Amino acid sequence: MAQIEQSDKGGKKKKGAQKKMAIHVDFTPMVDMNMLLITFFMLCTTMLKSQTLKIALPTNEKVTNEQKNQAGESQAMTLLLDVKRDANGQPVKDSFGNHTTVIYYYEGALKTDDNGNPYPEQLRKEEFLGNENNVQRGIRKILHDKNRKIIDEVNKLKDKWRNKEFSANEEENQRLYEEAASKVRNDADLKFPIVMIKATPEATWESVIGALDEMSINEISHYQLENLNNQERKMLGLPIEEEPAAGEPAPSGN
Amino acid sequence: MGKVKIKRKSTLIDMTAMSDVTVLLLTFFMLTSTFLQKEPTQVETPSSVQEQKVSTSNVVNVLVSPTGEVFLSVAGEVDPDASANYAKEQDPTLTAAELRKEKGKWASDSVRREVILQAVADYNETAKNPVQLTTDEVAALAKIGTFGVPFADLKKYLELNDTQRDKVYTDFFKLSPEEREAYNKNRENVRVGIPIDLDHNKRNEFQIWMRAIKKVAQSKYPNLNEALTKGEGIAVKADRRTDFEKMHVVLDNLQTLRMTRFTLMTALKSQEQ
Repeated sequence: MAQIEQSDKGGKKKKGAQKKMAIHVDFTPMVDMNMLLITFFMLCTTMLKSQTLKIALPTNEKVTNEQKNQAGESQAMTLLLDVKRDANGQPVKDSFGNHTTVIYYYEGALKTDDNGNPYPEQLRKEEFLGNENNVQRGIRKILHDKNRKIIDEVNKLKDKWRNKEFSANEEENQRLYEEAASKVRNDADLKFPIVMIKATPEATWESVIGALDEMSINEISHYQLENLNNQERKMLGLPIEEEPAAGEPAPSGN
Repeated sequence: MGKVKIKRKSTLIDMTAMSDVTVLLLTFFMLTSTFLQKEPTQVETPSSVQEQKVSTSNVVNVLVSPTGEVFLSVAGEVDPDASANYAKEQDPTLTAAELRKEKGKWASDSVRREVILQAVADYNETAKNPVQLTTDEVAALAKIGTFGVPFADLKKYLELNDTQRDKVYTDFFKLSPEEREAYNKNRENVRVGIPIDLDHNKRNEFQIWMRAIKKVAQSKYPNLNEALTKGEGIAVKADRRTDFEKMHVVLDNLQTLRMTRFTLMTALKSQEQ
């Protein structure tokens, strides 16, 4: 490990002169140990903190019944989150034991026939899909198209924010941008959509988060998590609940 | 012609520099690391495009297992100076010695201790079999990061040592969903999960805990209280495969408590995904 080398360079040595010793300490085991420790710390640390999705229930910008009516049918949209089912209505699992998310949507109010049964064809099926080459697909495209005007406006603001046109001060810039963006999102003239998100009991948490995430991707600020009503249950082939839950928002604290 | 002499060279490499570098790296990792929190069960959070980071201080974590068992953990202020600074703001005449006493008062340990005392007191108001925890037991419970045991089983749980406590959870999560239900029905066991079923006549245990946290925060920990009001103080973490049915109960409970603003823990993904 540590060795002392005598340097004898041959030749004549002066008598009485001290021998020169070079000390070599082999650091290899030390490095080995350090590497092991580093590996341990690297594996045990959480460098990436998890991200959070902020939500408010019911949403901070509350959708009141009046607003719903005011909004008219063209702006209301309902997303129904469900899982893939077999012919008997039982959820199907894929080879990994996961449910496959299916998302249905309809616009406006449900149209029913004379017996109060909704027409099944108004329910359309979609999927959660990511962008491909910056082109929206799946439910995101539907929502994007629905909210296009606002997205365009917000994108304009985003450009301004990037160029720091609101203010040279970074914090001030951010604050003013957020203020302006929120104003655009709530601009009634731009006809913002109002989205109801309803999930079946079997729907996965992932799909609910996915739907909430789509709201923020598409700059939709008016959305609400709600319970399924019986007409929707009928269309999805779910057992009908005894107590009519129709139109009743998710139980809230007030 | 003279022979060409090949000089013998030593193959020793000086490792000192290498060692220096590794020690530096090691120090870096040691100082920056925050250890992964031990959690009763591993959950895989769903992903979203949100970039907001979850805070590590002043936060109440609600962990929901895939079968719907609920666990809680409370984190106080990480910065020990925060409470001293606050005290100074309130009363600028405080002396240095008094300020030193204030330091670290908002640490997780002390927040948890207050919460436990408050929650147990609230529980005992209505419970048929009140729970009495000794000071030692409260201190032991305050040390545990994430826990999820009904009040009635707290004493049994605290009698166990660290390894046995972990084993309660690991054994539980090895069971199939049906077996878990049966396990939690048996009062002999240390049941797992804080009871959360909505009962309109009575507060359930989850609500007792959350209310206790809110109460304690309002009276003693302004930073935690602010975080709770703003919604950054409550983080719900659930597995992506959890049924909405289970999550709905948790969300309903939070709504009943009027804690309508909270955050959901997610992993990061890009818009392309």
